[in-house]
Amino acid sequence: MKGELKDPRKAFGKAVSDIAETDERIVILSADSGGSSGFKDFAKAHPERYFEFGIMEQGVTGVAAGMATTGKIPVFCAIAPFVTCRNYEMFRNDLGYMRQNVKIVGRNGGFTYSDLGATHHSLEDYAIMRMIPGVVVLAPQSPDEIRAASVAMMKHEGPVYMRIGNPPIPELWDGEREFEIGKGQLLRDGTDLTIISTGSTTVEALKAAEAMEAKGVSVMVIGMPTVCPIDEEIVLMAAKKTGRIMTVEEHYVHGGLGTLVAEVCAENYPVPMKMHGVPKEYATSGPYDELLHYYKLDAEGIEETALAFMGK
Amino acid sequence: MSKAIKTLELQAARSRRNVLRMVEASDHGHLGGAMSCLDIVTALYFHTMKVRPEDPKWADRDRFLLSAGHKCMVQYAVLAEKGFFDKSVLDTYGSLKTKIPGHPDMYKLPGVEANTGALGHGLSIASGMALALRADGKDSRVFVVMGDGELAEGSNWEAAAVAAHYGLDNLVVFVDFNGLQISGKVEEVMNFTPIAEHFAAFGWAVRDIDGNNMEEVVATLDSLPLEKGKPNLIVAHTVKSKGVSFAENKAAYHYWTPKADELAAAIAEVDASIAKLEKEVEEAAE
Repeated sequence: MKGELKDPRKAFGKAVSDIAETDERIVILSADSGGSSGFKDFAKAHPERYFEFGIMEQGVTGVAAGMATTGKIPVFCAIAPFVTCRNYEMFRNDLGYMRQNVKIVGRNGGFTYSDLGATHHSLEDYAIMRMIPGVVVLAPQSPDEIRAASVAMMKHEGPVYMRIGNPPIPELWDGEREFEIGKGQLLRDGTDLTIISTGSTTVEALKAAEAMEAKGVSVMVIGMPTVCPIDEEIVLMAAKKTGRIMTVEEHYVHGGLGTLVAEVCAENYPVPMKMHGVPKEYATSGPYDELLHYYKLDAEGIEETALAFMGK
Repeated sequence: MSKAIKTLELQAARSRRNVLRMVEASDHGHLGGAMSCLDIVTALYFHTMKVRPEDPKWADRDRFLLSAGHKCMVQYAVLAEKGFFDKSVLDTYGSLKTKIPGHPDMYKLPGVEANTGALGHGLSIASGMALALRADGKDSRVFVVMGDGELAEGSNWEAAAVAAHYGLDNLVVFVDFNGLQISGKVEEVMNFTPIAEHFAAFGWAVRDIDGNNMEEVVATLDSLPLEKGKPNLIVAHTVKSKGVSFAENKAAYHYWTPKADELAAAIAEVDASIAKLEKEVEEAAE
């Protein structure tokens, strides 16, 4: 973990605003959400490319599709459940089926809106978004990666859903990174177990792997910032090398990263798997770090779960 | 009545025949709504809209969205008549891999601007188009036909607010008010009358017209925008299944699977109207 913690929303807003300085096709759409998504400065600098709609995520999704048909590249960021669940049919038909070049960003994803409760948690977004043909699902893992993923997202032709969090997060790497959609990252080599993680939990997975190393368990860690399309090659490499895979995500256990990895293994190279995430329930509320601990998604919980999976 | 109006009526009659051709091919179709808004769609394509059938993606074109996508036969009928594709395609309606499925698909057929059919989507998409076209300084307009039953979808009212808030007078929406949906009278199923006043309250310029009266439809289109700086909402009072007399104003013909001699009777009636109009056009003064 490197340096000071940074706000993921600001990292995203700054990245897209910077790109939009030189690409006039980019327009920012807000459902009373643009300011909190890091676009305050852009709105002031480019009012002609900043559109406010008030709280109407279904309407904004359709409007975004319409704008995109004329060649614009709309970016719409708001609270994750409201740009995935609320507007699902608009996402599916107007962006997916119509193949429109619109970028939807769900911020405060997972349960980072911790104490606001289950209405504001987003624990099924990977699952429902991955089901829409043609939609890329991203969950970058650090501020610099959010920046790099934003660049890749804006270059990509077609609908993208990206989840980011809210609380400040650490850098995982030194310096700028390239981001390639559909590519996983070997973050740590190992031989006994592979942990595949995405989004916010990757930093905790790495800490858990370090702790397990001290106990004699060699853990490979793969970062998977593209949830869909999943990097089959790296999953199978890990399956063959370590023979066991545990997935970790701030998402329901079923339907998300774990399911995607299991599908790859089941059809190609079955290995014992542990899918670790939030059980299918309306998550309780409370401080974010306590929620992560409660659902065993901090380093300690990941380690405990992994050791149990290893029979240790 | 002018020759121009008579000619449009003839175009409409020919498009009605195209609708029946599709029903003949597939033995079914959403007849009622396709026929009720057909005069409007004909006037749009043959009198008002800037389009190039040979260059359907022309950047400066006007757009047409059929928000009530189940009425797709009207769109196919008029696009074919306008020359966007060969009329033989009409005979594939209902078949596997047809370019003219039961709801329009923009990637299958030239001239289709959006994949409509899930009700309550068209107005948002159209508002986005109108907003973007205006932002680019284009004078292109966006025309929409909505169903009356469709008004119960809440997403329409989000879009209604958007269009009014942004003053999109390049957006022109017809509500095809034939008054009937599957379960019966629209006013009894979920009442949104008076429709014009609902939209006026949102900030739209509104007008009620007879949507099957070509002269009135054309006069309305020629008077756009109804009010500068406001989106246009035209409540088109229409007759469900217009042009097929035994099916007119009957909810049962919303979706039609012809019985025994029904199709032959419908074709005979529309063919007769075409013959009559051809004669009238010939005789009409310029």
